[in-house]
Amino acid sequence: MTRELRGVPAAPGAAVGAPWIHPPAGTGGAARLSLDEAAEAAAVEIAELGARLRARGHEAEAEILDAQGLMAGDPELIDPARALVEAGSPPADAIHEAGERVARTFEALDDEILSARASDVRDVAARIIRLMAGEAPPRLERRSVVVALDLPPSVTVELDPELLAGIALEGGTRTSHAAILSRSLGIPAVVGVAGLRDAAGTAAALGLDGDAGVVVVDPDADATARLASAADAAGERARADAAFGERPLATSDGHRVICAANIGDPVEAAAAFAAGAEAIGLFRTEFAFAGRGTAPDEETQARAYATVLRAAGDADVVVRLVDIGGDKPLPFLAIEPEANPFLGVRAIRLHERHPDLLPIQARAILRASLETGRRASIMAPMVADEADLDLVLRLVDEARTAVPDAPAPRVGIMVEVPSAVLLADRLAPRLEFMSIGTNDLTQYLLAADRSNSALAARQDPLHPAVLRAVASVVEASERACGSCEVAVCGEMAGDPVGAQLLIGLDVDELSMEPRSFGAVKRAVAARTHAELVALAEAAQGMSSPAAVRASVETPA
Amino acid sequence: MAEAEVEVRNPSGLHARPAATFVRAAGGFGAEITVTNLTRDAERSANAKSVLGVMGLGVASGHRIRITGAGDDADAAVSHLVELVASGLGDALDAS
Repeated sequence: MTRELRGVPAAPGAAVGAPWIHPPAGTGGAARLSLDEAAEAAAVEIAELGARLRARGHEAEAEILDAQGLMAGDPELIDPARALVEAGSPPADAIHEAGERVARTFEALDDEILSARASDVRDVAARIIRLMAGEAPPRLERRSVVVALDLPPSVTVELDPELLAGIALEGGTRTSHAAILSRSLGIPAVVGVAGLRDAAGTAAALGLDGDAGVVVVDPDADATARLASAADAAGERARADAAFGERPLATSDGHRVICAANIGDPVEAAAAFAAGAEAIGLFRTEFAFAGRGTAPDEETQARAYATVLRAAGDADVVVRLVDIGGDKPLPFLAIEPEANPFLGVRAIRLHERHPDLLPIQARAILRASLETGRRASIMAPMVADEADLDLVLRLVDEARTAVPDAPAPRVGIMVEVPSAVLLADRLAPRLEFMSIGTNDLTQYLLAADRSNSALAARQDPLHPAVLRAVASVVEASERACGSCEVAVCGEMAGDPVGAQLLIGLDVDELSMEPRSFGAVKRAVAARTHAELVALAEAAQGMSSPAAVRASVETPA
Repeated sequence: MAEAEVEVRNPSGLHARPAATFVRAAGGFGAEITVTNLTRDAERSANAKSVLGVMGLGVASGHRIRITGAGDDADAAVSHLVELVASGLGDALDAS
């Protein structure tokens, strides 16, 4: 009988397949190994899987496998297991128990990163047990929905991607490794589904809707048809998009725009370039400040920034000065509680009360630039007027005096405060680039709080007012003889409809999450530049974002 | 017998890859090397050649650790490891 289980949407798309429960029951098929042989074989398997992840650009997950490879032969795991065997325990129980002991020590340390590593240890122990038992690696026989409490990266990458239709997890969150990896591999996933494994154990088929966060147990003909057609459509879209991944971002008549990536962590840089990024258009630096008791020093920051500059080679990297405020307070920055942190003391406005924060960061960026020999672009968030710009330029000058041998940085600002739009003609001649942050610009322009879901419909960047704001920034830059490039780094740039309008408005660069590259490139390549200019022109005279979207999706 | 203290400053502490880098470097020496996390628990030490042992110390950014070596190349081992930690564990943040 069909029934639905609710979970948390983790990766978009739909799937129907046979349930495949991890870990699977043994089937044999390989030679039994001793504890030592199995530990060694596990290290070899893990190294191979790590290389596979790295080749696909999943550096963060590959690093987990690097550490797991060392764990497989680690004396802290193997020695206690041997001692248990000598005391009469069956070898499989011994390694299981030894792994559990280590995992529990990690969990007891009350450290979020380390607790996550506990599951890595259990995963390694399970692999050694499998190899000792002479079990072949897990294999899917047909199109399957993988069901587990949690799915380690080592298993996700081990399964045949052609047969791995979807992932449903009883545990996990949207930000767990399994969820992140399934999103970046394009596998539909739902996590946090209570009662999933019991239900799946007796099911003949499972359906999964990764957008709605629903698992359908034994879907009936209607549900199967609905999910299958959604899966087909999504699969077709993904294949068509993927075919565009390597191409330049250009209209059908060859009008080119820079395709750049937004990243929030240095380890994402390599994957962004592997996915076809021509530049990093927005490198958010909040990662260096979050989760710390003290402010990160210059050297720590410089090392992190250098990683990205190195991965970029000759490509441009726009490092955004830290944008923090009362919505995400940090222990080392005393920020008074504010009634409305988005209109409060945030980003460069913190300089008055925390005069070391931005100078240290600016020097760290230049030191990273000096160390790698690569020019960096420095971008200041929340610049509202020329007084703010004076401050930013002074900070950069002072940093250049402190690090005189660093390559001269490009300097730019985020355009997100409406006053900066109105003053763009005053700001542009003094800048090398402006990057429009359409998420914040939309909330400020339409006075609609981004964190208030009741106003969600008012936060659409396709609003004619936002389009007009973009047009006026582009015009200001053109009047500054085009010496100031205009980019867009909000979510609008990664929406195929938004991207078409922005190119019609003549922006120079679109910066987005790398997973959007294919869809955006495909949409843009279907039209000429003149068509996009006409669509953008007409859109500025429409009455609502919905009308704008419809006009681009199905033009009259 | 050699001993030195150093502050761990790379953002993620001695977790995952930085721990792996540290353990691989320690494995290159014959000396017996132990690590203690002075900030968390000065009474508990781990084998510096064990990634599980080192990770189990829960060393976060800003923590102070003590590295102790005994054996022929203990001096070289301790000074090399201290330098490695002080420099942010080499390529600990390198994505390339």
